Amino acid sequence: MDSGSAVLDVQNLSKRFDMTQALEDVSVDLKAGEIHALVGENGAGKSTLIKILTGIQQADQGEVLLQGKPVKISNAQEAQSYGIAAIFQEPMVFPDLDVAENIFISHRDRGFFVRWKKIYQDAETILEDLGIQLDVRSPASGLTLAAQQAVEIAKAISLNVKVLIMDEPTASLSSHEVSQLFSVARRLRDEGVAVLFISHRLEEVFEIADRITVFRDGHKISTNPVSEVTRESLIQEMVGREVSKFYKSHEKTVQGKRIGSIKNLTKQPIFSEINFDLHEGEILGFAGLVGSRRTDVGLAIFGVTPADSGSIEIEGKTELIHSPQEAQKLGIAYMTEDRRKLGLAMPMSITENITLASLKKYLGLLGIVESPREEQTAGEFKERLDIKTPSLTHEVGKLSGGNQQKVMFSKWLNTQPKIFILDEPTRGIDVGAKAEVHQMIRELAKQGIAILCISSDLPEVLVLSDRILVMREGRQMGILEGASANQESVMALAMGQ
Amino acid sequence: MGWEGFLLVVLLLIICVNSFNSLAFLTVENQVNLFVLSVEKIIIALIMTFIILNAEIDLSVASMMGLAACALGWMVESGTSTSTAIGLCLIIGLVGGAFNAYWITIVKLPSLVVTLAMLIGFRGLGRVLIEDRSIRVFPPWFENLGQQPILGPLPLSILIFLVLLVIAVVILQYTGFGRYVYVIGISQEVATYSGVRVARVKTILFMVSGLISALAGILFSARLGSVRGDMGLGFELDIITMVLLGGVSIFGGAGSIYGVILSILIVLYLRNGMSLSNVTGHIQTGVIGVILILSAMIPNIKSWLESIFDKKYAP
Amino acid sequence: MVKYLSQVRPEKQRELVLLLLILLVVIFFAMMIPNYLNARLFNRVSTSVAIMAVLAIGQTLVVLTRNIDLSVGSIVGFTAYFVGQQLSHNNEIEPMVAVLMAIGVGALMGGFNGILVAYCRVPAIIVTLGTMALFRTLLVEYSDAQTVLTVNLPQWLLDFPRLNVLSHGRLHLRFVVVIMLAVVVLFQLFLRFSSFGRKLYAIGSNPEAANNAGFPTQRIVLISFLLCGALAGLTGFLFLARFGNITVVAGIGFELKSVAAVVVGGVNIFGGSGSILGATLGAILIDLLENSLIRWLQISEFWRDALLGLLILTSVATDSIFMKRIRLYWAKRHAPSTS
Repeated sequence: MDSGSAVLDVQNLSKRFDMTQALEDVSVDLKAGEIHALVGENGAGKSTLIKILTGIQQADQGEVLLQGKPVKISNAQEAQSYGIAAIFQEPMVFPDLDVAENIFISHRDRGFFVRWKKIYQDAETILEDLGIQLDVRSPASGLTLAAQQAVEIAKAISLNVKVLIMDEPTASLSSHEVSQLFSVARRLRDEGVAVLFISHRLEEVFEIADRITVFRDGHKISTNPVSEVTRESLIQEMVGREVSKFYKSHEKTVQGKRIGSIKNLTKQPIFSEINFDLHEGEILGFAGLVGSRRTDVGLAIFGVTPADSGSIEIEGKTELIHSPQEAQKLGIAYMTEDRRKLGLAMPMSITENITLASLKKYLGLLGIVESPREEQTAGEFKERLDIKTPSLTHEVGKLSGGNQQKVMFSKWLNTQPKIFILDEPTRGIDVGAKAEVHQMIRELAKQGIAILCISSDLPEVLVLSDRILVMREGRQMGILEGASANQESVMALAMGQ
Repeated sequence: MGWEGFLLVVLLLIICVNSFNSLAFLTVENQVNLFVLSVEKIIIALIMTFIILNAEIDLSVASMMGLAACALGWMVESGTSTSTAIGLCLIIGLVGGAFNAYWITIVKLPSLVVTLAMLIGFRGLGRVLIEDRSIRVFPPWFENLGQQPILGPLPLSILIFLVLLVIAVVILQYTGFGRYVYVIGISQEVATYSGVRVARVKTILFMVSGLISALAGILFSARLGSVRGDMGLGFELDIITMVLLGGVSIFGGAGSIYGVILSILIVLYLRNGMSLSNVTGHIQTGVIGVILILSAMIPNIKSWLESIFDKKYAP
Repeated sequence: MVKYLSQVRPEKQRELVLLLLILLVVIFFAMMIPNYLNARLFNRVSTSVAIMAVLAIGQTLVVLTRNIDLSVGSIVGFTAYFVGQQLSHNNEIEPMVAVLMAIGVGALMGGFNGILVAYCRVPAIIVTLGTMALFRTLLVEYSDAQTVLTVNLPQWLLDFPRLNVLSHGRLHLRFVVVIMLAVVVLFQLFLRFSSFGRKLYAIGSNPEAANNAGFPTQRIVLISFLLCGALAGLTGFLFLARFGNITVVAGIGFELKSVAAVVVGGVNIFGGSGSILGATLGAILIDLLENSLIRWLQISEFWRDALLGLLILTSVATDSIFMKRIRLYWAKRHAPSTS
C-alpha cells in the first residue's frame, strides 16, 4: 500500500444528540502507515467520532470515505467488513475461551466446523508477527489487561484491519506494557495500517504520533505533524484560551502535628512494606505509574481489601483495619476514582448520596431517617461546593461529571474525616474544573485534614503535595519533599532508577 | 406513581368483575376467608420484597415452610408441648436462614444456586423427619389459632400479617436499614465502598426470611390441623409473582412495597374470583405463571412506553 | 504431577475428578453392601441414568449461555403424557414417529421459553418459573386428570427399556443407554467443533462482548432453549417407555435434578465453561449415589433430597474456590514474557 495515501477520509461530519451538537462539520483524514493522534477534552467529540466509525452510531450529515469511496457503516459487522477495528480501555475478551479462539471467534467465514489445529497455528503466527508472546491455548481470563489488549489487536490483524482505532489504551498499563503496546503500534504502522490513537496523556502522544489532530467542543481545530506542535500549543487549542500558568504554583503549608502512621503495610503479592506518617493539614501525594498499586494501598487503609500485616496507627490507636466501618470509626474517608461504578448510587437522589456514608448520624427513633436534617445537610453542601442542580431530589445519574464529583466529595466530607484518601480526584474532569478541585483540596488541608492524594497526573501531584510518596509495582521507592521535587526526580523514583 | 397507578386501575377492575360475577365476593366472610387461605404466602411476600430489592432471591422459602411444619408435627408427636415446639421451629427457621446466608455472604455463592439447593435440601430434611406420613396430633387450641376471630372478624393470622406489613413498610421506606437494602440492590460495590455492612444486611434478610417461612409453616399447620412433607409445594411461584408484579425489578434496587401491597391484593382477588367461578386450582396456577412472566417484562414495558412519550413530547 | 495438571484444561480436570469420585463411590459401596458389584447394578443404574443424562445435556446447553430452564420437568411430563396418549389411542403409530413427536412437542415448548428469554428480554429464571407452572397446567387440562395406562400402550414401547444392543452374560447394554451415549457424543462434538457451539460458550462467557462482536445472540439463545426442550421431549419419551403409567405429576422435580447434575458436572452456573461430558458424569454420580444409598440400609431414602441439596452446595463452592485457584495457577504459568 502506498504509504501516505488517505485510507479513511471523514468529511463534514455532523452529529447531534438531543440538545448537544456532538460533532459539527468535522473533517479528518487518516493516511495508511501513520499513527494519527486525536486529542481533546471530555465532550470534545472524540468518542462520538469513534462510535460513528465503528458503526455504533450514524452521522446526521457528512460522509465517510474508505480509500476514496463513500461508505455507510450501519453496524459493527459492517465496520469490521470495511477493515475498521477499535480497541478500548477495557478489552472485550471472552475469559473462558482460549486466546486463539478469542482471536478468531468473530470471523464470519470460517465455516461450520472449527479446525482447532489451524486456529492454534494461525494464532501463534499472528502473535509472533506482532512480537507478542502468549500461550494461545490458555484461557483469556488469566491474562493481564495489557495481554488482553494484545489479543484484541491480534483479533483486528486477523480481520485484515486497515484502520485501527485505539481509545485511551494506555490508561491502565504499566510503563513496560505501554512500550510494548507502542512497539506493536509501530509495527502495524510500518505494515501500512492507519492507527488512530486517542489519549489524554500528551507525553505519550508526542512519543508515538506522526500527526496530531485537536478537537474542541465538537469541532476540529487543527491537524499538524508532531514536529510542528508543542505541549503548550496543544493545550491552548484544546482549552481554547490562553492558559498561562496551567496550575497555580505550589503553596507551602505549615506541617501540622503527626496524626498517625502506617508501618510495614503489606499485602502479598500486591504491595509490601509501605511506611509513612500522616500529619494534620498535610497533603501527601502518592505518585507512580499505573500498576504501582497505589489504589490497593488506599483500599487497604480504608479496609475494603485489608492488608495482611503491618500496622495502621491513628491518633494513638493501633490496629490493622479490616473493614470500611473500622476505617470510618478511625476517621478515614476514601473517595474512589470510579464514580460510576463505585462512588455513587446513580438512581438515588443527591441528598441520599450525600448522607450515604454517614447515615447513622441521621437516624432517630427505631432507625428512622430524619429527613429534614438530611435535607439541611445536603443544602449546605450544595451551597458550599456550588453543585449545579435544579433540586436536591434530582437523580445523581443525571448530573454532569463535574457535579457528580462534587456530590461524591460532599458524601465523604460529611463523614468529617481526619484522614481523607483521594483517588484520582480530577480524572475525567475538564482542565477548567480541575483548578476548582485543587482549590477545594487545599482548603480541606487548611482545615486540618490529612490528605492522601493518589494521582497519575504528575503536574497535579507536584503542585498540590507537601510531600510525595513514590511507588513502583507495589514497593515504596521513596518520599520527596514537595517544594524541592520536580518531574525528573519523581519519574526517576517511579521508574526504579 | 406510574406503575402503582396502573396496578390500582387493574385492582379496581378485578374488584368490579368479581363483584359482578358473584355477590359473595364483597362479603366480610369471603374477604377474611380469602386472606386467611393465603396468609402464609403473603407474609413471605413481604420479606421476599426486601430480598429481591437487595438483588438476591430466596427460592427455599416454601421448602423451609414445609420443613418447619414437619419439624413441628414431629416434635409434638414425640411429646414436646406445642408451644415449645413452635418456639423451636422458629429457631429452625432462623438457623436455616443463617445457613443460606453463610454460603451467600462468606463463600460468596450466588443466592440463586444456594437457595435452589436448599429448596431441595430443606424439603428433604422435612421428609427425613416425617417420611411419607401425615401427622395429626395438634391440640384444639392450636387448630383454632388460624380460624378464630380475635379482633372483630380478624383471626390471629391476619393480625400477624397486618403487623408485619406495617413493620415492613416502616423499615423499607423510612429507616436507614431500608435504604441500605436499596443501595446494595443498586450496586453492591457502591454500598461496600460507602461503608455499608453488606454482609450483615444480607445475613439479616436471609435469617428473617427463614424465620418468616417457618412462621408461615406453623400457621399453615394450624390452619390444616395436620402436616405433610409436601406442604407449600410450589408456593414460591405466587410469592415471587406478587413481588415482581408490584413493580420490584428482579435485578434489584428498584420498586416499592406499596406496589407489592397492590399486587398482593390483585393476585389474591384474581385467585378468589377464579375460585368463585369454579376455575380449577391448576388453571389458576397457570394464570399466575403467565402473570409472572408478564410482570418481569414491566421494566421493558416501562422504558418502551417512556420512549414513545419522549418522542411525542420532545421539543 | 503438578506439571501434568498445569497442561490440562480446567474442564478436563473436573471430568477427571468426577471419574475418580464415581470410582471411589463404587469402591466404597462395594465394601459396604454385599453383592453390590454385579450386572444388575450396571443395568439398573445405566437405564435410570440415561433419562437424567439426556435431560442434563439439554440443561447444559441453556446454562452455558448464562440462562437456566426450570420448566424441563413440566416438559418431560407433558411430552410423556402426550405421546402416551397418542399411542394409547392409536397403537399403529411407528416408533420413529412417536419419538419425533416427543422431540417436536418438547422443542415447541422450549421455543416458547426461548422467545421470551431471547427476544422479550425476560430473565430465564422468571420465564421458566412461569412456564413450569404453565406447562404443568397444560398437562392437567389436556389430560383431564386421566392417567395413561400401561395396558393401552403398544407392546414395542413396553419392551423398549429391556431392549438390548449387546449382552454379555447378564450384563446388558440397553438400547436406551445407547441412545444416551449417542446424544452425549453428538453434543460433545457439536459444542467442541461447530462454530455455533463455540458461540454458545462465548455468549455465556461475556454477553456484552458477544453483542459487540455482532453475534446473533438472540437467535443462538433461542436455539439453545429449543434444543433443551427437544431433549426434554426425548427424555419424556424415555420416561414413558420406562414407566408406562403417566399421571399429571410426571416429571415433577426433574428440573432440580438436571440443574444438580449440571452443577456437579462442573458447568459454571454463570455460563461460559463446562462440558457435556462433565454434565453426564455429574448425572451418573448423582444417580449412582441415589441408587446406592437406598440399598445401604442405614440411610433411608428420605435422606436423598437433603443430601442432594448439600451435594450441590459443596460442588459449586468447590468450583468457586478450587477452580479459581487452579485457573490462576494455570494462567500464571502461561503468562506473557516480561523483561
